[in-house]
Amino acid sequence: MKKLLALVMVLAMVFAAVACAGAPAADDQDFEIVVVPKDATNPWFVRMETGVKEFAQESGLNVYQKGPSETDATMQAQVIQDLIAAKVDAICVVPVDPGALEPVLKEAMDAGIVVVAHEGASLENCDYDIEAFSNEQYGAFIMDNLAEAMGEEGLYTTMVGHVTNASHNEWADGGVAHQQKTYPNMTLLAEEPRVESEDNGDVAYQKAKELLKKYPELKGIMGTSSFDAPAIARAIEELGLKGKVFTSGTGMPAANAELLKSGAVNSLTLWDPALAGKAMCAMAVKLLKGEKIENGCDLGVEGYTDLKFKAGSDKVLEGKGWIVITAENVDSFGF
Amino acid sequence: MSGKTDKASFLKKLYSRDVHISRLLIMLAAVLIVMLLLKPEKFYSIANFKTMAAQFPEFGIMALGIMLCMITGGIDLSVVGVANFTAISSGVVLKSMVDSNGNLLGYGIMATLLFGIMIGAATGFINGLLVSKIQIPPILATLGSYELFTGIGIILTKGKAIADLPLEYSELITAKLLGAIPVQLIIFVLMACLIAFLLARTTYGTRIYMLGTNITAARFSGLKTGSLLIRTYALSGICAALGGLVMLANYNSARADYGTVYTLQCVLIVVLGGVNPNGGHGRISGVVLAILVLQMLSSGLNFFPQISNFYKSLIWGSVLLIVMVMNYSTENKSAKRVKAA
Repeated sequence: MKKLLALVMVLAMVFAAVACAGAPAADDQDFEIVVVPKDATNPWFVRMETGVKEFAQESGLNVYQKGPSETDATMQAQVIQDLIAAKVDAICVVPVDPGALEPVLKEAMDAGIVVVAHEGASLENCDYDIEAFSNEQYGAFIMDNLAEAMGEEGLYTTMVGHVTNASHNEWADGGVAHQQKTYPNMTLLAEEPRVESEDNGDVAYQKAKELLKKYPELKGIMGTSSFDAPAIARAIEELGLKGKVFTSGTGMPAANAELLKSGAVNSLTLWDPALAGKAMCAMAVKLLKGEKIENGCDLGVEGYTDLKFKAGSDKVLEGKGWIVITAENVDSFGF
Repeated sequence: MSGKTDKASFLKKLYSRDVHISRLLIMLAAVLIVMLLLKPEKFYSIANFKTMAAQFPEFGIMALGIMLCMITGGIDLSVVGVANFTAISSGVVLKSMVDSNGNLLGYGIMATLLFGIMIGAATGFINGLLVSKIQIPPILATLGSYELFTGIGIILTKGKAIADLPLEYSELITAKLLGAIPVQLIIFVLMACLIAFLLARTTYGTRIYMLGTNITAARFSGLKTGSLLIRTYALSGICAALGGLVMLANYNSARADYGTVYTLQCVLIVVLGGVNPNGGHGRISGVVLAILVLQMLSSGLNFFPQISNFYKSLIWGSVLLIVMVMNYSTENKSAKRVKAA
């Protein structure tokens, strides 16, 4: 009996302790906006949460992040179901699997809840989906970084995770198109214009080594998958080609801090999840206030001040939310 | 004798009639009271109870299957693999059951359900064979078959989701009868009643308890242990398949990696429900209560923005360990009592 009492008390204390910990005067809440990431512990979404918290502080609204404990489509759906039952005003979601969320999000919309998504361009049951950028323009942005490193001249090629990966290939296409327009002194390696890294750092590294041996005149490789550019940089460093061959592409800051600082790679490109989180919340507030969303909409968040509808869609909005990571700013992100 | 001590001893008797069940009832009450004190308006709403009643059947049904296996002294860790495999193959069947206009055939849903149940029985049969005939320890056998079924699912779908299913199926299963009772809940209740009946009123039930208590003794008293085990694992397979069919409806899609956290959660439920992992003991009422406690705790936690779901694993783990420790100490006590007598 004593043990039971102890158990009940522990349970009660857990609840009470956490319930008292937060919630400073949450009474003047106008809107309750909840951001549901893919999972609660991934550094990417921890970074998103800092943005969400900043937004909560700046706006004074009841805005918080609540994700499933693991990246799991069913867990994420249940978190959303519980939020619907709790009658929140808006749900901002980064779907694990857009298809699996459709029925739940439909339920949310039927209940009058505003639904904003990020990286869920295929979703039907949402008010709007915000993408950090259009794939074509992001590709052009990577190309700008690569061209700068290469001195705007020389032979280059592109690397994608898989030739079947839609976004990687759109980035690469966008990059190549931008080069043809803007950098006439650069040429695409005709023999192997698109190499596959299989979204794997080791494969990317091997492929880069092969390429550099096979084509000694190659001067640059554009990476797309977040494994590409860092692995290419490793190959460059190992073959002693630092300063002769260059790369740029998507990469995570913390994991690549050393490569950036050693100069094996000048710059990596990315979008900042904190800003994406803020942008979703800002969009939710706009919708809750009944404002109309039009082309060129300004969310007041860096990179999301001039949102454009994706061609052929009235739901997917694209910003210019890319960032460049260099040796100087790499430590400021925290992920 | 004063009335007071009478009452106290009566309560004590009631409590010790079934320690596991009493403990669960008290835990349930504790959760309900804490929620009443902290989040009355959010927790005690019809919407929330409807949501919870639609959420737990998918893993609740799977837990029932694991319970059966655990009563025989085994375990079925393949339930999530079976559920996803069933959902994927049933999804494919469902998609093929449309006429040229894209409308679902009249018998389409029934056929899909039957197909799914057959897949479940077949996968369970394989598990049963591995455990009884080839005598692989159940943990390893079912962990292996979990990987196998998940693997087949990944190959069938190439790792993507099976989506764009005819909406009729999802609408039927996620519908609310009389505007309040989710169909998923009805499936769960039917299955729970069937298993309760099998355990309490049939020789099959009595025999699997005997088997779980002492397999050697059971064999010497003439029980066909092989066939009993195969039937039990097949039944667990059917439970898992039903869970998968409910998941297929809830998410209107199927994928090889949905619900991977359910394995541990189901084991937690079954142990929390007072089923002895060594076999021979356990009641379905305990398991059902455990499902309710866990669902309320889980939904309740989502009403606290301050508690990150990060803590959920931590809370689940501690609850599981606390219960095991408590079960251990009560068993030790009763063992001592037996010795003394």
